[in-house]
Amino acid sequence: MTGTTEDRSRPSAPPTTLRRVAASPEEQGRTSIADDEAFRQFVVPEIETMLRVAGTLTRDTGEAEDLVQDALVRAYRGIAGFDGRYPRAWLLTIVRNTHINRGRRKRPEPAEDPDADLDRVARHTTESTVEASVVDIVIDDVVQECLRELPRDQLRIVELVDVAGLTYREAAEKIDVPIGTVMSRLHRARKRMRDHLVRAGIGPGRSRR
Amino acid sequence: MRWTRWWRRRPLTCPEVARLLQRHLDQEVPEHLAVRVQAHLEDCRRCGLEAEAYQQIKQAVRRQGQPLPPEAVERLRAFAASLLEEGKDGAGGPR
Repeated sequence: MTGTTEDRSRPSAPPTTLRRVAASPEEQGRTSIADDEAFRQFVVPEIETMLRVAGTLTRDTGEAEDLVQDALVRAYRGIAGFDGRYPRAWLLTIVRNTHINRGRRKRPEPAEDPDADLDRVARHTTESTVEASVVDIVIDDVVQECLRELPRDQLRIVELVDVAGLTYREAAEKIDVPIGTVMSRLHRARKRMRDHLVRAGIGPGRSRR
Repeated sequence: MRWTRWWRRRPLTCPEVARLLQRHLDQEVPEHLAVRVQAHLEDCRRCGLEAEAYQQIKQAVRRQGQPLPPEAVERLRAFAASLLEEGKDGAGGPR
């Protein structure tokens, strides 16, 4: 129940700005059309990113999916308290905290309200946590964009070495080029990604004069 | 002879480390050289940051390269839709 008076008069309209007004405690836990819209707008488009991050946390496809399911439930319950700023960072914080709680749950512990820390996630996410999440996201986005733009020959080498984990020699044999070619293509590709990161304000170049 | 031995053990310079960095991150330099590169990266802030940036790039590329199972994404989208559907009655979604 976070909509303004104007929102209530047009209940089907999605939020027009990113910033939403946090719900009062007594309103939390209740759902509203505005909250459902916020969930559709902020959460649903990030499911793939959440799954990707969950995969890196759990290193298991099945567990990653379970983790995202739990995180979605928490996001749904917490959407009323979410102010609309940095939705992806907020969601990744939920994924990480849910992952930690799932780990705790496996150990015997006095029963507690599973939603007890929901407010802490929604309201007291530290700036450093948010910043760390945002930095990860920026790096992933920049790298993803760079990979799309890479020349085919460079992309192939990056896939062989960084994704498939081949050695330079194995990669060279695989595509029948000299090792020197593997190295130069790989290094050019990485240099390109590094330069993109610097331009995005992430990376060692930002502190240089 | 002694000079040669010293030369092979002396601390590496920044340009030397820059030339070796990619191979070092890919574990493609011999052990004795890797130790010297690592020592430089720990001492030199600028080269250390450079190495960290490339390491992050490698990790990001690896993440990108792992395709998400489409059926898992579909199931999660359906689950999100079910949260919205079941939340309509004000129950706050399934538990």
